[in-house]
Amino acid sequence: MRRALLSRAAPMAAALLALALPAALAGPFHLRFLAEILLLGTAVMSLDLLVGSGGLVSLGHAALFGTAAYAAAVAALHLGGNLLLVLGAGTGAALLLAALMGVAIMRSSHLFLLILTLLLGQIAWEVAFHWRAVTGGADGLRGLPPLSLGPWRLDGPRALFLLAGGLALAAHALARSFVAAPIGRALVGAREQPLRMSALGYSTARIRLRAMLAAGGIAGAAGSLYPFLNLYVGPQSVHWSLSATMIIMLVIGGVGSLWGAFLGSAVYLALQTYVSAYTDRWQLFVGVIFVLIVLLLPHGLAGAAARWRRG
Amino acid sequence: MGMLHPRDALHPATLAPRPAAGRRQVLGGLAAALAGLPLAAPALAQAQPLRIGMITSLSGPFTALGESMRAGMQLLLAQSGNRLAGRPVEFLVEDDQARPEEGARRARKLIGQDRVDLLCGVISSGVALALRDVVTEARTPTFLLGSANDLARKAASPYIVRPTKTNWMLGSTAARWAREKLGGARVLTVASDYAAGREYVGDFVETYRQLGGRPGRTLWTPLGSADFGPLLTTIAAERPEAVYGFFAGSDAVRFLRQWQEYRLAGRVPLIGPGAFFDQEDVLPAVGDAALGAFSTFHQSPTAPASAAFNRAYMATGKPLPGEFSTTGYVCGQVIRALLERTGGTLADWEAARAALFGAPVETAFGTMPFDPRNGQAILDIHVNAVRRGEDGRMVNTVVHTYPQLRDPGPDA
Repeated sequence: MRRALLSRAAPMAAALLALALPAALAGPFHLRFLAEILLLGTAVMSLDLLVGSGGLVSLGHAALFGTAAYAAAVAALHLGGNLLLVLGAGTGAALLLAALMGVAIMRSSHLFLLILTLLLGQIAWEVAFHWRAVTGGADGLRGLPPLSLGPWRLDGPRALFLLAGGLALAAHALARSFVAAPIGRALVGAREQPLRMSALGYSTARIRLRAMLAAGGIAGAAGSLYPFLNLYVGPQSVHWSLSATMIIMLVIGGVGSLWGAFLGSAVYLALQTYVSAYTDRWQLFVGVIFVLIVLLLPHGLAGAAARWRRG
Repeated sequence: MGMLHPRDALHPATLAPRPAAGRRQVLGGLAAALAGLPLAAPALAQAQPLRIGMITSLSGPFTALGESMRAGMQLLLAQSGNRLAGRPVEFLVEDDQARPEEGARRARKLIGQDRVDLLCGVISSGVALALRDVVTEARTPTFLLGSANDLARKAASPYIVRPTKTNWMLGSTAARWAREKLGGARVLTVASDYAAGREYVGDFVETYRQLGGRPGRTLWTPLGSADFGPLLTTIAAERPEAVYGFFAGSDAVRFLRQWQEYRLAGRVPLIGPGAFFDQEDVLPAVGDAALGAFSTFHQSPTAPASAAFNRAYMATGKPLPGEFSTTGYVCGQVIRALLERTGGTLADWEAARAALFGAPVETAFGTMPFDPRNGQAILDIHVNAVRRGEDGRMVNTVVHTYPQLRDPGPDA
């Protein structure tokens, strides 16, 4: 009993320490950078629910993330930067889109799923790109008010970092319980043995729809804070290329591990930010690392870490 | 987290809240205090290297333009012996991939980690608008080279200087030229459907109508079209008396080639902003398809102010310079003038800004005064005709100049 408590408390304490240390020590640039890693990592982790448990590879995840970002930014522009309002608007918009997407994809898998999500994502991008009156078109939206919660302003890098960290912890707890719950098991079942699952009376379509809603809600919560890092949101955050980047982050971090998503987004963003200062061909490095990980560490960095810990 | 730069981690100043300009002032102040000699501080500032950060597109759709911009700036720094106003210069370049979020992240890295003294660059207007709040919040002096009208209007900032054109300057002068030369003929407009195209066409149509001209239909195509056939058929069917259009980079090359293949070249007068017929990135690739076209632009290789730059640029093995190499070079000239006027220090940005705006700067775009309301350059806008040069190459040749054009700025 005590061991079980300890084994559960230890990672929690480590995670809290990992948040507290940089909050106390890191400079403003690194805090903001870490906040971005945490927010994108949270979105990648929600993608892991679909890919890792359900085998549903989606190229439309950025549409959920970016739609939430736009909804949050528009809400903030018109009604002020109240944190709860912003989170609610973004998450709500993402849930709505996730429901649409879920209904569209619930009867397809593999290649068709990939193409359907890509198309739905591109539709979202087209809307963001052309609805100039609301989204600012190619210029995006700027001049957002800073986030606030009651009397507190949450616009400093430290506040943003802690906010992103809190969100990441909450989302991780939620995702873990989703995976452990009957619906999470059923999602794995629908991936492994769809025929047997339907013979047992499960509706794979409904399971997929629910998984999509859970993933969309989490991605939406992360997306709704994203514009406030730079006080800007643009159509790139809805584009399918961000979905592809998320998949790369997921594979680097480790499919199916949940927390690997944060590792993956950290490695990818660090490569992009630091290697590109030395060479214009930084994408080559990302490509080589991606290939090496797929060949040598099929379970990503998280899988390698787990194996190392087991000895 | 492994992300901390060792220099930052060790430096005590990282732990304390501090203004953006940072380390040099802290050290300078410390040295002055220790020595008890206030005069020591400026002397120290002289010896400190000046860090200039450039954000430009080195991958993505504007790669060629970004490389030209960097080459222009590097040429100026090389000519100055890598010293500006006596201070050695460290020049750092970051790639924004023409993505706003990426540009904002790079700007934060240059400001927060590399501690640059000033920032410059940017091609895409989207990136420029995204950087606006980042640099204003960090109070980092920034020479922003995107051309969206809003940069001189709603998004103007006391920390931003704009040594380049706004889209309005080109769209409205093209309308004036068309009104004078074509006598108000029916002009069809066509452009790539993105921010710059919308602004060029919008400003052209608005000014043209105000002057009593008759704007015709407006057609849009997505950025990155491969086939302009249907569009050109529509244009031919409309039988316009002239066409005002805007495409950039590879779109411009494809459009102009097909313009010739559909035998519209030479029959329908073609007008556009200069980037449509850019000297460096477009004209060499389209043969004589653009021959006879007119453009309004702040840059021209045949403008007298550009002659010295042309020679220096071509001596490095490059072709006749186009917009972005000249823009990079001019940006460097303006930074050099600013530093020379302040004796090499940017400690008091208020004063530095006033010194820069106090008198015009001589640049490869010509004499450049600044509008103190928004930091926007006041520019000569040339009407360039694409003509055959002595060696048979196509050259943007100045045929008329609208002197000293000032963006309406906050009045718009």
